[in-house]
Amino acid sequence: MKLINRFWWMLVLVFIALYPPTIGGMSPYRSGLLIFVGIYVILAVSLDLLMGFAGQISVGHAAFFAIGAYVSGILTAKYGAPPAPAMMAGMALSAAVAWGVGRPVLALKEYYLAMATLALNEIVVTLIVGLQRLTGGASGLRDVPSFSVFGFSFDSQIRYYYLVWAIVVLVVASSLLLTRSPFGRTLIAIHSDETAAKTFGIDCAGYKIRVYVLSAVFASIAGSLFAHYMGFLAPDDFSVMTSINVLVMLYLGGIGTIYGPALGALFLKLLPEITVRLQDYEMLMNGAILILILVFMPKGLFGILTEIRSRLVARGSR
Amino acid sequence: MSTPPQGRAREKERAGLAEEAFLTVHRVSKSFEGVHALIDVSFQVKAGQIKALIGPNGAGKTTLLNVINGLLPPDEGRVALRGRELAGMKTEQIAALGVSRTFQLLRLFTVNDATVLDNVLLGAHKRINPTILGTLFLPGRSRHRERVMREKAMEALSFVGMNWAADRLPTALSFGNQRLVELARSLMSEPELLLLDEPASGLNDAEVEEFLQLLLAVRARGITILLVQHNMNLVMRLCDDIVVLDFGKWLAEGDPAAICANPAVIEAYLGAAGGGGSC
Repeated sequence: MKLINRFWWMLVLVFIALYPPTIGGMSPYRSGLLIFVGIYVILAVSLDLLMGFAGQISVGHAAFFAIGAYVSGILTAKYGAPPAPAMMAGMALSAAVAWGVGRPVLALKEYYLAMATLALNEIVVTLIVGLQRLTGGASGLRDVPSFSVFGFSFDSQIRYYYLVWAIVVLVVASSLLLTRSPFGRTLIAIHSDETAAKTFGIDCAGYKIRVYVLSAVFASIAGSLFAHYMGFLAPDDFSVMTSINVLVMLYLGGIGTIYGPALGALFLKLLPEITVRLQDYEMLMNGAILILILVFMPKGLFGILTEIRSRLVARGSR
Repeated sequence: MSTPPQGRAREKERAGLAEEAFLTVHRVSKSFEGVHALIDVSFQVKAGQIKALIGPNGAGKTTLLNVINGLLPPDEGRVALRGRELAGMKTEQIAALGVSRTFQLLRLFTVNDATVLDNVLLGAHKRINPTILGTLFLPGRSRHRERVMREKAMEALSFVGMNWAADRLPTALSFGNQRLVELARSLMSEPELLLLDEPASGLNDAEVEEFLQLLLAVRARGITILLVQHNMNLVMRLCDDIVVLDFGKWLAEGDPAAICANPAVIEAYLGAAGGGGSC
């Protein structure tokens, strides 16, 4: 019972992951949409580890999303590499970039860190546009094959749906395990007060770099999944706008809760579908949502949900 | 204690390291953009004693604590713990040697609804040392260790009388209670040397009395204490030994009675602070 209580919201995620067969099929349009949602859930949760827990701002998280996508895309489409090792190569490159960049950059704080991460995003996009032979440049990278592992191909939409959501559940579960453990507690100490943390023997620089690398690896996985689903990559999908979109997901859902950013991704990706006519105003909407959330509900949607739930539980036990 | 060879002892003597010294501060100087915060300060703390660091505002007391636990590198001079050089070590490495501290303005961890118990558990970071892989792939082991640590953290909270507040948010507690939580957090790190920066400031008389009793109990555990303190009444009743700083310079050193009778100290500090009565 206590376990169910602790992982209540996890059941919701597992339900979405198993949704198609339980309801008896869903339209390709909807399952396609939920595949996108799943990819962005991974991206948002990965950023929450870094920002919501370790307290390190990143306004350029799409950089690692891009590295994952393009390494997978280039290796499979241009060199015929099998998708699973290509994905791992993307994870390795993301980890290496995060480690190399993180050493100097994570010593920065606040605005300076924000600017540096933003610059990283710009550099990656510029490289993608510039290295035309490799990446296809501004006109895009074509013919990324569907994902397969050990000869089993995830070529149908429903198969890919299961793959993406299985990974979503894994990423969310491991993020929860990490953040609700002494490891997460250590990150919170660093976030709260680095000087005090150091006086208790916490190696702040070391922990920050480790969580940055983990966060980059998760974002890279999301990128690879994106590449194999789209089959076509263009630099626009990895611009700073995407990074800011993910930031809005964090604040909309409730930063520092893991579930919140997942909820934020769901909400922000489904909203334009519901209000199709607003699609041209996505940037405007993002800005408006961010301001409204920060002013009126700093704990985000998840904060409101847990509030409602704890009131219901309190009423039920009375 | 075993006697080291004659030559080594003399060499130590020359280096300013008396044998019984637990903490040695030797000719430490530190300045900030031309302002001399510490000038050639030397003193020692013996194992198991409570030593006070007193002096008027701006005497360099907090700067000295920051130098000792590595938050500030000294411009000149050395700090040694049990003969081991601390210069060049990072704060987290010095912490691992058993140096813990509290802060004048509280520094409890408050982000993401961290509780009082979380704060105290963080005191034991060196012993837990959590890793990503360990957390993900050996959850059973880390859960067992966490249970043991929780018990110890509750003991530390009981020791300071704050076990009732384990699940509260630190910010919901009174200032005095937050000080007690900081002390429990420091004790959780099983320190050998405890640096306390103004531990009694912001406390009412009853709380000061309680704190005094607590610190005596801490000393009884064999923990050496160096504290910066303005409350002379507390210092006189609590401390075995006192060192006085004035404008960054060593002014006097000795037991409470000797310090009270020292004319230089009275002129520089006690008289001005109106603390003469508490001697």
